[in-house]
Amino acid sequence: MKRPAKTTAKKVGATHASPLRTRRAARKPARGRVGAGLKPAPTTRVTPTPVRPRTLQDLVFALQTYWGARGCLIHQPWDGEVGAGTMHPETFLRVLGPKPWKVGYVQPSRRPADGRYGDNPNRLYKHQQFQVILKPPPVDIQDQYLGSLAALGIDPARHDVRFEEDNWESPTLGAWGIGWQVLLDGQEITQFTYFQQAGGIDLSPISGEITYGLERIAMYLQDVDNVYDLEWAPGVRYRDVRHEEEYQLSRYSFEQADAALHRDLFEKYLAEGWRLLEDPKKRSFLAAYDWCLKSSHAFNVLDARGAISVSERAGLILKIRKLACAVAAACVEHASAGPGEAAGSGPGTEAQRG
Amino acid sequence: MAEFLLEIGLEEIPASWLEGLAGQLKAQFETIAGRELLEPADLEIAWAPRRLALGARVVKKQKDREEEISGPPATIAKDKDGNWTVAATGFAKKMGVSVDQLIMPAAHGTAIGPGPHDIGKVTYLKKTAGRPAIDILPGVISTLLRSLAFPKRMNWDAWIDDGKGAFPFGRPIRWLVALLGGEVVPFTIYSAKDGARGEAVVVSGHATRGHRFLPRGQAGQSISVSSFSELEAKLASRYVILDPAEREARIQRTLVPQASRIRDDHGLPAEWRDLVEYPTVVFGTIPAEFRTLPTEVIETVLVHHQKYLPITNGSRSVDRFAAVVNTDDANAAEIVRGMERVVVARLRDAAFFFEEDLKRPLADRSSDLAGVTFHQKLGSYKDKTERMLRLIEEMGPKLGLLTKTEHEAAGEAAAVAKADLTTLMVREFPELQGAMGAIYLRAQGGSRGDVIHAVQWHYHPLSIEVGAAPAGELTGGEATIFGAVSIADKLDTLAGYFGLGLIPTGSSDPFGLRRAAQGVVRVLIDFWAAADGERRPSLRKLVAAAVAGQGSLSKRPPAEVIADLETFLLDRLRYVFVSRGYAADEVDAALGAREPDALDDPKECALRLAALKRVRAEAAEDFGHLAVAFKRAKNILSGAPQPVLDPALFEHDAERELHAVVTRLAGASGGYETRLRALATLRGPVDRFFDDVLVMAEDEHVRANRLGLLTQALALFYRVADVSRLA
Repeated sequence: MKRPAKTTAKKVGATHASPLRTRRAARKPARGRVGAGLKPAPTTRVTPTPVRPRTLQDLVFALQTYWGARGCLIHQPWDGEVGAGTMHPETFLRVLGPKPWKVGYVQPSRRPADGRYGDNPNRLYKHQQFQVILKPPPVDIQDQYLGSLAALGIDPARHDVRFEEDNWESPTLGAWGIGWQVLLDGQEITQFTYFQQAGGIDLSPISGEITYGLERIAMYLQDVDNVYDLEWAPGVRYRDVRHEEEYQLSRYSFEQADAALHRDLFEKYLAEGWRLLEDPKKRSFLAAYDWCLKSSHAFNVLDARGAISVSERAGLILKIRKLACAVAAACVEHASAGPGEAAGSGPGTEAQRG
Repeated sequence: MAEFLLEIGLEEIPASWLEGLAGQLKAQFETIAGRELLEPADLEIAWAPRRLALGARVVKKQKDREEEISGPPATIAKDKDGNWTVAATGFAKKMGVSVDQLIMPAAHGTAIGPGPHDIGKVTYLKKTAGRPAIDILPGVISTLLRSLAFPKRMNWDAWIDDGKGAFPFGRPIRWLVALLGGEVVPFTIYSAKDGARGEAVVVSGHATRGHRFLPRGQAGQSISVSSFSELEAKLASRYVILDPAEREARIQRTLVPQASRIRDDHGLPAEWRDLVEYPTVVFGTIPAEFRTLPTEVIETVLVHHQKYLPITNGSRSVDRFAAVVNTDDANAAEIVRGMERVVVARLRDAAFFFEEDLKRPLADRSSDLAGVTFHQKLGSYKDKTERMLRLIEEMGPKLGLLTKTEHEAAGEAAAVAKADLTTLMVREFPELQGAMGAIYLRAQGGSRGDVIHAVQWHYHPLSIEVGAAPAGELTGGEATIFGAVSIADKLDTLAGYFGLGLIPTGSSDPFGLRRAAQGVVRVLIDFWAAADGERRPSLRKLVAAAVAGQGSLSKRPPAEVIADLETFLLDRLRYVFVSRGYAADEVDAALGAREPDALDDPKECALRLAALKRVRAEAAEDFGHLAVAFKRAKNILSGAPQPVLDPALFEHDAERELHAVVTRLAGASGGYETRLRALATLRGPVDRFFDDVLVMAEDEHVRANRLGLLTQALALFYRVADVSRLA
């Protein structure tokens, strides 16, 4: 059932009034007297909004508003090629160390091997995630997530919403977590993970990571079967915005990418990363991480191109991982450096203590 | 006595863990509470995705108890003047009492009071008052929670104040009901902050939680309970069915009317039971355009990815599916639409893959296998295919296990068996490997039926039951061809990993080598159809060939690898037999037979075992005696068989009698059962031999002669079963 194209020009942002009406579901759990029991946190008393986000961009605004209201810093995507929101320093580096942090951001995620030239209605070279990090995870984190669905006009009571076991691992980042995929009427719409390790380091406190698949959710909300039919903005379709890019990037990925060049770049990116970690001032880990991400993308390009031999593969992944772990270690070392660290210079500023 | 109720409220626990966890909860509580003298009884457990519940009866207060504690010997407890010595006062001090509470033993050593009677020692009767259960239970709860074993535990920054601090668990705990006779048992879980105790995050109480979303508009309200039965009842009214049996029944009620249309339930209804708190089964439709896809593809999409149950129509093609939801059916139509959309998206992909894959002949893909890793250190699937072909070469011309036609077919099958790994379909749905190869071969035409079947089934057998796939699917020569490809693949895998030293341990077998070895065993005992005049496969020779085929990939000396692999395969052979209901001692007896031994001909071993079981059941007593006798004989001979036998040296009738029977039986023919029955008649002569005859006679010639007679008797059995193992 396709929605007819909207002819009335709506002001961008006008449709997200309803999420502002949602009541904060994030109440601190009552500290009961012994014997009284803690009052169970309210399950989604938020009234489902009567108006669902009509467009993809409304969906983004709704999520940003919802999580912004819950104390998340609303950040912007990482401005380099990454495969997932997890790789953004706002996740990978913020989850390290003891400082609390809350952040939310859109992240376009590139998976060269998933390119389909714009022909597949469900699969994309680059899809968009909305990434939320809650460190430490609040006691009612699941309810907060379900509240976000309600804020999107999805009434969980009218659907089959389930948390189904699905643990997550990133070998290149030395990271893994335990959690679920959230299914909405059989469709996976969110990855919900309690981070246990990043950069090979055990996390304390742990972080809750909630990753929404924006195109999937939008297709559900807009009731379309083909991602390219999504309405990105009033009167503008996903096809208009991204189809050509999908075609060209898929073609590049499978046919045009210069394997020798990328192999060379892979090694050079790693080398530059390691060089920066030798900084005597020990304040170059963010710069080094930049290069780690570039090497990871180079690997993905090589992989999609079929240029990685069976015996090399594990070794190459290990190389990226080693650099990622070294960056993580340097970051932790820096954060635990004594007083004299300027406010706002490292991860976890006072303003974000939540 | 009072009722103890514990409900652990959690975030969704993986379905496959729940039943085991509940069982642990029960067993551990029984042990821990028992240890604390709470006398647990009438334990009951229940579970659902977000909760584990335990009910039990315990005493409200431990019984008062007395314990007799021994001190120094009476002789040194008092000096010659009758005063207490230092030994006695020291003991009294240690007990925390004055010396006049000590008891001297009675003159003749009869002690007073319960407990150990240490004759002659001074004792103290320690009385301990029973403590109230409510004071002990908090400690029981923390021990209980910590004792639960999870396949994977997570750090959720939690802390228990029981001296142990950090408290990882399977999933975060969000509420806790802990009551004794309706009264709250105090228990708190804290957050862990900087390696120390932080604020309270879970405090025990009366309150449980119902379904997340139902009843609509009223979900999320706190529910107060005071007993296990009240918990069950109130949760039910709140759309949580705590009792797994009831959830299962609810599911089955909807499925039973569809029973004739469900070919294979893939164990889904059982899985569904623990996936949801309020199971409702809904039905969806598969659009007609996708029903022509191979059934295996439809089933993989439905079952493996979505956990939906395929339902066939009259003509046995899948046109509908059943699914479980965690809600009522008020919005079933909308939910089903969503589910159908997901299914259709995947089937559309599958249809695309199918069409694309068919554009290229499967055989052409073999060279692409160079790009598919088998193992980082064992090369690509192209390498593996080449090794498999070499093994089939061994089986054919070299070992003579296959006829010319069989050898050709097996080679043709092996050459393409792995090719489907490069297809889009199998890349997307790895579970379809093997099956897709066969489907594509069939669709593209030009392959013989036995080749197609071999490709289709070569990953099997996957389980060891006699009736499991591919039983019933292959006939005659087809079974041998399938067997050749299946064994070639599995033995190459085994030889490869063993050569790298990656041998399974008791707790870890990441490459599925046990299953691979069991598959080899099963092929040889259930499927390989050796026609008359054909030799049966020797595991020993095939293992040697497989190991040799690894060449420089192996990191260990071939002889070591062979030895390890032979041991491993024998162990799996034993396992398969025992799993099929054979007694362990009979299995050992059959495995102990020789000419050929179990490794040279596993099938022969299976035949011997079956015969032994039947005949022994008929003549159990005889075999019991023979077992003892032959164990004795084996010990006497201790591995030094004597070939010499001179009837002239016999001195006793028992010797002559035994000799006569042995000679007669040596010439006997017939199947294993006949021979075993005949051998059972040896019991009498053997018993009399041991009764009347001194085997280790002084005269060395006589002795050697008697040992020779025993050797001959034993030899009769070695060709059937090593009966001494039945002792």
